Amino acid sequence: MQLLQKAVQWARIKSPWIIHFNTGACNACDIEIVASLTPMYDLERFGVLLKGTPRHADVLVCSGPVTMQQKERLIRIYEQMPEPKFVVAVGTCSCSGGVFHDCYGVLGGIDSVIPVSAYIPGCPASPEAIIDAVVKLLNSLEG
Amino acid sequence: MNNEETIQAELVKNFPFLDGKIRLQRERRIFAEVPADKFLEIFTYAHTKMDFPILCTIVGLDEGELLSCLYFLAKENGIILSLKISVPKETPVIKTITQVFPAAEMYEREVVDLLGIKVEGLEEGRRYPLPDNWPADQYPLRKDWQQ
Repeated sequence: MQLLQKAVQWARIKSPWIIHFNTGACNACDIEIVASLTPMYDLERFGVLLKGTPRHADVLVCSGPVTMQQKERLIRIYEQMPEPKFVVAVGTCSCSGGVFHDCYGVLGGIDSVIPVSAYIPGCPASPEAIIDAVVKLLNSLEG
Repeated sequence: MNNEETIQAELVKNFPFLDGKIRLQRERRIFAEVPADKFLEIFTYAHTKMDFPILCTIVGLDEGELLSCLYFLAKENGIILSLKISVPKETPVIKTITQVFPAAEMYEREVVDLLGIKVEGLEEGRRYPLPDNWPADQYPLRKDWQQ
């Protein structure tokens, strides 16, 4: 039984599948996320696959400040992911609201709505920083 | 019709109350202040008969006592005609231009949501661009609006 647990843990760390969601961003961070999955920066060597549905995913990679229109959609996507799940906030807007901090219609960073595991600052966050954050997240699971 | 002076002369000939209200700011830019009740005629005439096929955008302004709308009409060779109408802030009502130019609905909804100008003739529709649960009479782009 212990062996089975360890095998499952190993599988989760070695192949985290991600779902990408944009909660009202300007799309620069989305372009950098997609660029980091291409062979040039190659996030896929860590076993990361970009899936189309949250029901298949372990990690939610999220960009953009949460707008009032997107809040319930984001919560619905987060609840559709099976446990154990993690959230990575990409870009300054997801960390704290960024330039849109006190605007009408904006609620702030992603952690005002769902719990976040890793924050990546930057505007837009560079692909090297995204890879660094994913590696740190995977290392923290090993312990 | 490819010259700013001929456009100005044609507008004054057909609508004599515009004499003195049309300004040629610089090359290819014409500004005109239009009374709100005659606006639809002038817009229809400029769009259909004077060959201004493009409506670039509708810009809403908050000028203290008045709320204004600027309509930017453009020609293929680059001449832009700006028509400005003003309505008082207590009863801001303008007529829709969607029967002449259906795509203006998007700009009119934006002005309705963000500045509170009421557009007569626009069908009931969802809010754009504000979120669906935004309270009813808060207009974020007015100068005296607080969060």
